[in-house]
Amino acid sequence: MQVPASSGGIDFNRDIRPILSDNCFSCHGFDKSSRKAGLRLDDREGATADLGEGVFAIVAGKPEASALLHRIRSTDPDEVMPPPESHKKALTNTQAELLEQWIAEGARWGAHWSFIKPVKAQIPDGHTHPVDHFIQEKLQAEPLKPAPPAAPHTLTLRLAFDLTGLSPSPADYGVPHTELIERYLDSPHYGERMAMWWLDGARYSDTDGYQADSTRTNWPWRDWVIDSFNGNQPFDQFTIEQFAGDLLPDATPEQKLATCFHRNHMTNGEGGRDPEQSRVDYVLDRVNTMGTVWLGLTLGCTQCHDHKFDPISQADYYSLTAYFNSIAEDGRAGGNAGPYLKYRSPYAEPAVMEATELLRQSETEQKKLKAQIQPAFEGWLARQKEAVRDGFEPWVPLAPVNLQTAEGSVLSAGDDHIVSAAPNPPHQDDYTLTLKTPPLDRITGLQLEVFPHPSHTGARYSHSEDGEFMLTNVKVKVRKAGDTLVRDIALSSAAADVNGEGRYSKNSNVSGTLDDDPRTGWTARKVESGGVHRAVFEFAEPLILAPGEELDVTLMQRSLDPGRLIGRFRLSATNQRGSAVRSLGPMPMAQLHETVARGENVSDSLQARLFDQYLEDDETWQQASERHEQVKRQLSESKKAAGELNVMVLAEREEPRKTHILLRGEWDKHGASVQGGVLPAVLDLPSGEVTTRLELARWMVSPDNPLTARVIVNQVWQLLFGAGLVRTPSDFGLQGESPTHPQLLDWLAVEFMESGWDVKHLVRTIVTSETYRQDSAISPEALKLDPENRLLARGARFRLASWMLRDAKLAASGLLNPAIGGPPVYPWQPPGIWQDQFMGRFTYRPTLGKGQNRRTIYAFWRRTSAPTFLFDNSMRRTCEVVARRTNTPLQALTLLNDTTALEAARCLADLAVAAHPDNATTQVSFLCKRILGRIPADDELPVFLREHRRALQFYVQQPDEAVGLTQAGQLAPATEALAAQTASAMLIANLIFNLDEAITHE
Amino acid sequence: MSKELSAALEEQELRVTRRYFLGRGAGVGIGALALGNLMQEARANALISMAPKAKRVIFLTQSGGPSQIELFDPKPGLRKLAGQKLPDSVRGGQKLTGMTAGQPQLIMPSHTAFLRLGQSGAPVGEWLPHIAGITDEVCFIKSMVTDQINHAPAMTKFLTGHQLPGRPSIGSWFSYGLGSVNRDLPDFLVLISKMMRGSDQPLYDNYWGSGFLPSAYQGVKLRNAKAPVLYLKDPDGLPRHLRRGMLDGLGELNAMRLSRTGDPEIETRIQQYEMAYRMQSSVPDLTNVSDEPESVFQLYGPDSRRPGSYAANCILARRLAERGVRFIQLFHPDWDHHSRLKSWCTARCRDTDQPSAALIKDLKQRGMLDDTLVIWGGEFGRGVAGQGKWDSPDGGRDHHPRCFTIWMAGGGIRPGLTYGATDDFSYNVAENPVHVRDLHATVMSLMGIDHSSFTYRFQGLDFRLTGVEKARVIHEVIA
Repeated sequence: MQVPASSGGIDFNRDIRPILSDNCFSCHGFDKSSRKAGLRLDDREGATADLGEGVFAIVAGKPEASALLHRIRSTDPDEVMPPPESHKKALTNTQAELLEQWIAEGARWGAHWSFIKPVKAQIPDGHTHPVDHFIQEKLQAEPLKPAPPAAPHTLTLRLAFDLTGLSPSPADYGVPHTELIERYLDSPHYGERMAMWWLDGARYSDTDGYQADSTRTNWPWRDWVIDSFNGNQPFDQFTIEQFAGDLLPDATPEQKLATCFHRNHMTNGEGGRDPEQSRVDYVLDRVNTMGTVWLGLTLGCTQCHDHKFDPISQADYYSLTAYFNSIAEDGRAGGNAGPYLKYRSPYAEPAVMEATELLRQSETEQKKLKAQIQPAFEGWLARQKEAVRDGFEPWVPLAPVNLQTAEGSVLSAGDDHIVSAAPNPPHQDDYTLTLKTPPLDRITGLQLEVFPHPSHTGARYSHSEDGEFMLTNVKVKVRKAGDTLVRDIALSSAAADVNGEGRYSKNSNVSGTLDDDPRTGWTARKVESGGVHRAVFEFAEPLILAPGEELDVTLMQRSLDPGRLIGRFRLSATNQRGSAVRSLGPMPMAQLHETVARGENVSDSLQARLFDQYLEDDETWQQASERHEQVKRQLSESKKAAGELNVMVLAEREEPRKTHILLRGEWDKHGASVQGGVLPAVLDLPSGEVTTRLELARWMVSPDNPLTARVIVNQVWQLLFGAGLVRTPSDFGLQGESPTHPQLLDWLAVEFMESGWDVKHLVRTIVTSETYRQDSAISPEALKLDPENRLLARGARFRLASWMLRDAKLAASGLLNPAIGGPPVYPWQPPGIWQDQFMGRFTYRPTLGKGQNRRTIYAFWRRTSAPTFLFDNSMRRTCEVVARRTNTPLQALTLLNDTTALEAARCLADLAVAAHPDNATTQVSFLCKRILGRIPADDELPVFLREHRRALQFYVQQPDEAVGLTQAGQLAPATEALAAQTASAMLIANLIFNLDEAITHE
Repeated sequence: MSKELSAALEEQELRVTRRYFLGRGAGVGIGALALGNLMQEARANALISMAPKAKRVIFLTQSGGPSQIELFDPKPGLRKLAGQKLPDSVRGGQKLTGMTAGQPQLIMPSHTAFLRLGQSGAPVGEWLPHIAGITDEVCFIKSMVTDQINHAPAMTKFLTGHQLPGRPSIGSWFSYGLGSVNRDLPDFLVLISKMMRGSDQPLYDNYWGSGFLPSAYQGVKLRNAKAPVLYLKDPDGLPRHLRRGMLDGLGELNAMRLSRTGDPEIETRIQQYEMAYRMQSSVPDLTNVSDEPESVFQLYGPDSRRPGSYAANCILARRLAERGVRFIQLFHPDWDHHSRLKSWCTARCRDTDQPSAALIKDLKQRGMLDDTLVIWGGEFGRGVAGQGKWDSPDGGRDHHPRCFTIWMAGGGIRPGLTYGATDDFSYNVAENPVHVRDLHATVMSLMGIDHSSFTYRFQGLDFRLTGVEKARVIHEVIA
């Protein structure tokens, strides 16, 4: 390894390497295959070699003899470097002069800074905080001075967000910050905050990703990460267990669990895919993730070729894959993605208890509700008895007023409203009937009768070759005269007296008429009985036709077999709900009619059927019943989560696989075979010394490894300052940025290792500095001189992560459920998100009860549909360690209207109104204090009061609107007496939560 | 990027930045959003290196792989070869998916007869009679090629230029590069047909994601729901005038914060909240089609009256184009016809045929076809061999990457042209192959951008939509 060139004027790493890397290395770098003219400029030997005919790119000490300088200064398009077709700019004069000076000074190379082991620079006086020493040392040469400390409440907020990811509790304000730091580091929420960082890099998700996107149960690993941070597990040990916990002597279940880190990649079970291709993908993903998270290297670049910029060869890359290539996995997904660890989570029980309690409440609620409804039902029953005494017509035939067909069938309707089709049918057809509105108060479903007829083939149902029919889809629409748009009427179920057998496996069940799939449908084929067949279709909601509205029913008959078009049929409607339109049995009301006609008493079973039907129409009951179903589901899911789970982990297979270089990175193009080996450019160890994953992990955290400590320290710095000391946290290679404060990064890295990889110590070291405590206001001068705050002459300002914004709302409003660990929960999302994306295959059901208010880290993460309330988060598909921060109108809408935001505003409004009834000024102060940690300034208060007044005026006039606004999420609406005040305070809380100050790390 | 171009771009950005910081220094900051807009303008000015022929794109994405053999690429000679083994020389070692690997590859001729209704004589399968009626407006490319055989990687490639997720979608590139004309709507909008049938190929949001570009450039999905954009609707009980007042208050308080902290980001935030407010009316205004006359619904067909249908989305696409939205992308799923091709494929044809043709006619009537580029196509084609029994109605076709057909219209495309051809089996491209990246280069060119100079630096590398391999602008299809 060469010594760094830093004496004299020119510093190779600082001044020269970036020029060469940006402009030359893509053709004259480490990658042999794309190297032009046999010249490499990334090491001295290559750059000073004889290129033939006495040409040398660089002759040390002799600029005039160095062809490189001539070529970069040439104006001849055939001569100049970089060449025009590379689309790179010509070098600037300054750059050319730097190169000239460097060659004149002897063209000294240096290893890239990050590949040299860090050392601690001396801190002259022993008193200055080390962080401040390095920051201020650099500032001395600049016209900027360090900013004064931030206001105490701002610093309290800053510490709370940085160390726990939550806003402070009211009691935290005023506590000395040194004490607060210890309090936060000891808080279990510290582990959650750090784990959120780690989960993003680890691409942790609760589902596989890709097409099937099946659910996995790896969440105990997420809890292991939280525990590790809370227990302040040394980072080297944390690393070793995640790489190779299974290989440790007498490995505990938790040490094996830790290896789930390397199983958090996506898994693909797509039908046509070769599992071996998937398995190779997973192996590569592990190496790439390791490169990004621990080494800060873009190893993915070396999948197909030698790295163009960094001294890493394709063979090096595939040597790393060898450590992950013999896992006992076969590339499958879903429930076949072993190896698994059978594991019971110690954190699962609270969810079971919560759900059990919810169920108990829900049952009591249901009983109460039923008792409330009973008298009304009895009154209704008495009236129904009268109504059906003289008869009951279960289905009212519908008169067609218009008959249309798409492909030319000829239809005609008789007096009995039976429609018949003429012989010689087309291949397929759609019948569309416009129906006369029946004398019913509403329509809850349709019946289709299909009649046999002597004129049909074999006297069965159609004019087709064998007389059978095939109904593939049924569509119901409402059309209003003069209105261009139609309304789709959703059908929720279909039932038939018989289900025949189609020629194809799917052509059998009447439920197939509800999808858009012409391959599924209803037939009576192979049904012996030649009688009338019936099917009923239930409307999802009862339909009340407005004047002028007409009902259109389309019977689509798109079978592959020609002519299977219904020959004779009739449609009828009913106004009865429940079993009446879900089954073919006698309707409860028809039974009632018979009972009454016979003068008998209503039997218990009929009474029960009638009560069920009555409840169908009771909105309150329906809601309670839906909720009850969800509670039951929640209980059964939480019980499952409390049982034995399969967690994906690493385990070696018995027979190791051979590892090859993959040509062009393609999974089935094997090149030369390679053995396990580490990256020689980072820390060279003889290949025999690093043979297992365990040794690879030890190499990673060896005190001689120049990268790991720096890369991790940089990520932690980024958590606290919004940007790292190296602004490209995933690239410490030649194309990455140099550190803004190299000595500080190195000091912290060495300190981190010397402290025994103590993460809490590292965090404490940084947050106790004056640099961290600075005010974050930006003076015009600072904005001009240092817009990106690279000098750190002011505190860090950046928008808080979206998950923190949600968690802070829960915390500030008192809604937060602080439980640690356990199975994933489902925070509010707008309805239909999963259903739309997966066309109904998945349904998102928000968690009921206190589980709704768990922290975001516990939110179920569907890889193909990340939580909608988050933005700028890592997508968790592949490893990401770069913080994204954008500012869009969609984020504004989320922060304004997300249900959690409304619930939090409502809870705070309740507190404000209870503490300060009828006093807008003190209510506003209370809300500001809770969310911003301060009372409003003199110029701010009038704005708050103006909007409060505007709201109050409206809500006093419109109490219903006030009640409506206060009914947010799971919260019961405010009482009418308090509604106007509560709604007005809620609006102010919503405003404050959206202030830039509330969403910014100030 | 060419030297002059990149210099010009940097020059412009520099000037804008200087103006920005000078402005701030003088106490009249123009704000980060305004800066962003100016930067974008500068970017667009520098990027547009030739006169753009198209101002906007409507991409009618047919997800799943429509069969070129039934729809666009007649091979009458196959009738004689029906049921025979596909010659190995034609197959040339093409990989098969796990679904048909190991099965005999027996030729299944097209199920359709072909219509030739236009002057150009371009054939279109009888399942698409309306599209057959507009062939003189359309340019068919029959020699499309991709290198991915499974849906997700192929669609990702088709839309982002790379098979793995993580790159920006083509619409994001335009949104980033060219910005918007309409300040009340996002630049890149996505509409997905509402289907009753559960789809086997979910439409992943990375298909319209911004990849490594800032997320402000990602496609925004317009849902067929009460809130077409997520969180668009204010809660019940919060009337517009109170939201307006609340946002006024928010703006004033944020402005005070700006003057206390000097953080230009706050100004952007103020403007984004205002944009959010405007979207709360511009989006419902867009999706409320009650101002469309009856004749429009007749043109787009009966399904257009059903909100959420492909046909209704085609009307919305035209409304978005009228509003100056840069990139409008429709997705119609369920073209993956591995079995019962005839009944299944005809169903998707019925969904899309009339509305696709209507969109072209409608744009033409309104004089908008000239500067609106319409693209129709899916991620790959389908193979000539039958999957399942070739001679039963049960038969379908497996995925096929080596050739497929797309069509384009308007926006500088030469109408009435057919470009490229396949062999006698519609298996390999016989002449003028057009790789997916060539299509991307061509679309960029129509928008006035040289694809090779449009790069974005990420993780130390300069990325472009068309990737590292050489991409060709298909000048032959440009009018």
